[in-house]
Amino acid sequence: MIRLYDFDLSGNCYKARLLLAILGVEYERRNVDFFPGLKHREPEFLAVNPLGQLPVLEDGDLRLAQSQAILVYVARKYDPSGRWYPLDSPEIAGQVQQWLGFAEGLTATASAARLADGMGFDFDAEAARDGAHKLFAVMDEHLWFQERQGQDWLAPGAAPTVADIACFPYVMLSEEGGISRETYPAIRRWTDRVKRIPGFVVMPGIFPAVLGSQ
Amino acid sequence: MDSASIAPGWVPVAASEDVIPRHVFQGKLWGQELAIWRADDGYVNVWENRCLHRGVRLSIGVNTGTELVCQYHGWRYANRNAGCTYIPAHPADAPPRTICNRTWPAREAHGLIWTHLGEGEPALPEAAEAPLVLRAVPVRAAPGDVSAALEGFDPGEGLAHRGGLVFGDGASTLRLFVQPMDSGLSAIRGLVSGPLAGEGLALLRRLNTALTAFGRAAEAAARQHPAPAPIPPVYGRVSEELAEMPEMAAGTGKIRVTIAAKTVVAEGIVSLDLRPLRGVLPAFQPGAHIDVALPNGLVRQYSLVNGPGETDRYIIGVKREPQSAGGSLAIHDSLKPGDLLAISEPRNNFTLRRDAEETIFLAGGIGVTPLLAMAAAMAVDDQDFRLHYFAAGQGHLAFPERLAALGERVQPHLGLDPAGTMAALREILSRPGPARQVYVCGPGPMLDAARTIAADQGWPESAVHFEYFRNTHEIDDSSSFDIALARSAVTLRVPAGKSILQVLRENGIAVPSSCGQGACGTCKVKVLEGIPDHQDVYLNNAEKAANDRIMTCVSRAKSDRLILDL
Repeated sequence: MIRLYDFDLSGNCYKARLLLAILGVEYERRNVDFFPGLKHREPEFLAVNPLGQLPVLEDGDLRLAQSQAILVYVARKYDPSGRWYPLDSPEIAGQVQQWLGFAEGLTATASAARLADGMGFDFDAEAARDGAHKLFAVMDEHLWFQERQGQDWLAPGAAPTVADIACFPYVMLSEEGGISRETYPAIRRWTDRVKRIPGFVVMPGIFPAVLGSQ
Repeated sequence: MDSASIAPGWVPVAASEDVIPRHVFQGKLWGQELAIWRADDGYVNVWENRCLHRGVRLSIGVNTGTELVCQYHGWRYANRNAGCTYIPAHPADAPPRTICNRTWPAREAHGLIWTHLGEGEPALPEAAEAPLVLRAVPVRAAPGDVSAALEGFDPGEGLAHRGGLVFGDGASTLRLFVQPMDSGLSAIRGLVSGPLAGEGLALLRRLNTALTAFGRAAEAAARQHPAPAPIPPVYGRVSEELAEMPEMAAGTGKIRVTIAAKTVVAEGIVSLDLRPLRGVLPAFQPGAHIDVALPNGLVRQYSLVNGPGETDRYIIGVKREPQSAGGSLAIHDSLKPGDLLAISEPRNNFTLRRDAEETIFLAGGIGVTPLLAMAAAMAVDDQDFRLHYFAAGQGHLAFPERLAALGERVQPHLGLDPAGTMAALREILSRPGPARQVYVCGPGPMLDAARTIAADQGWPESAVHFEYFRNTHEIDDSSSFDIALARSAVTLRVPAGKSILQVLRENGIAVPSSCGQGACGTCKVKVLEGIPDHQDVYLNNAEKAANDRIMTCVSRAKSDRLILDL
């Protein structure tokens, strides 16, 4: 069975949990106390991932770190429809990859502001917030024009892709880092759509968009 | 910038296309956060972005299409009137009508949603009917500065400044609006009409680029000065008692409504569609009823049939009953569409719990009306229920469209004699359970039978809820006794032939009442000492045995004296 080195409050770990849940893939959780325990910096976990980063996914002989890489692997391996990581069109594949890269930027900004404000990590929260606002502005504009063309998701196409999963958590958790989304209405509508994907699961700080869902 | 410098008048706070179904748009005007949401009936609500309970933003809540549900403790607020319809922590109590979220006027015109924070009814700005709506461009700069700078804005496209924030080329017009979000935050909204609008997406992109560049320059200029302090939001006042669970407020106000439609909904049953003459109808909960003052001087109670979100009207169902005092005949024979009626605010003495795992509704004849409202409320949430509807025949099933919408969860029982009805009730009520709730409404004998059968088969009284249309018991008013009013420190004598309520009113003590026959529960008063002689059909047997409440319109005293909490 798949094993996920996981931490509840981590948006990057949540990406993996979210896609695994949506695809209905069973997995075993191995909790790593990132905060306050800082167990990701201890030898036991460094033996799993020398970079000391969560999440890590093990599947058979494969051991994979880095959340975007995990999304790509899970989608290619466990989504027979191929729609979560579409490769048929070079244009779409390129754009999916572009947003996976964008998600790295969100981790460096929105997530950093949250870690500084909420967990006392030594990051420049103001710089992180400024950086996040620049990214959110680009994303909101993109999504607004997508909507005008009848497109619901970051990459073109009728269905969401790993790009949406990769960008969702740190957008949704941004207010924990003091980044309001009040000037990004198209982003807010997109997050509602992500929450309505069948199989969607929540994490602490992220609420459902419909009643009685989990 | 303080509130005194806020200009009156309508301001666009969202685009129509922003406010999509089942979404809650987070808006802001002069520091005031707004929760803007469209119900499934198309109505756009502009509310204070705050749950009255714990102050949580409603923009993270759930738009069910008819109500907004707070994400924290599930308080529900109705479309249009913003009244609180349900508090999960008090599943058995009706939230008082006075718990209402703060609302602002909302208009949808020219592809934008408009509101205003001031008094009165200012006129909407003029614009073309179906223009092209630009993407709102947020600018972190003071609204006054943004407006001033925009007069020198060059939109390109051959559009020249025509005064104010209007640009044109003779055939096409670009109108810009600055939405003052906060002291240091603005949003530029815009509308294009005329031939240029035909360029659609390409034009939207070009103007968005131009306005974004303008916004960056305005932000750079604003950074030369210290940022103004954000405007502290002014919240509507919520008293602590209100936020907790206050007593039911007495409904005294009379509301004028007009009959928009009178429809035959079954053999001998008509429905009235009542619309407010002005303003918005007060909030209601499933199970609520209103008093209707009829042309012949009678006042009658009718349950609201409305499902959740049907807040623009009240729907009642009235059965023709030739044997009665004339209330139903007055409605059937003399009222017609267009007539005016005076009604009370809704009261709810028949509260629906929504924490049950399984709910059984037992309707007899016209008793289906409150249960239809309850069933619709549960259907919206996909909660488990069954509506058993006892009627003389297929043609007697009222509100067939509403029944059809509930689908297979409706189980008709047609043409049964009393013995057949008893057998059916025994079968339906054969499985009491800890999370099962029963609601019964119908003719007196059916209610009596259902309650007896439920008790015999082990249902706790607290799980069997009922509402009688009327009290058919003979009232014995031959006793005489004293009532001591604890708060008023007076003692009054209630003689034979007079009710407690009459004596209270003769002595200037106001107690709300409605049906006058011990069926509706409106005149309920707390008993501090003494043994009441219960003659009502409102309290259940356990409640009667507790001797701590009394219906002052019919019930009396077994002891020489009652001490009442008045």
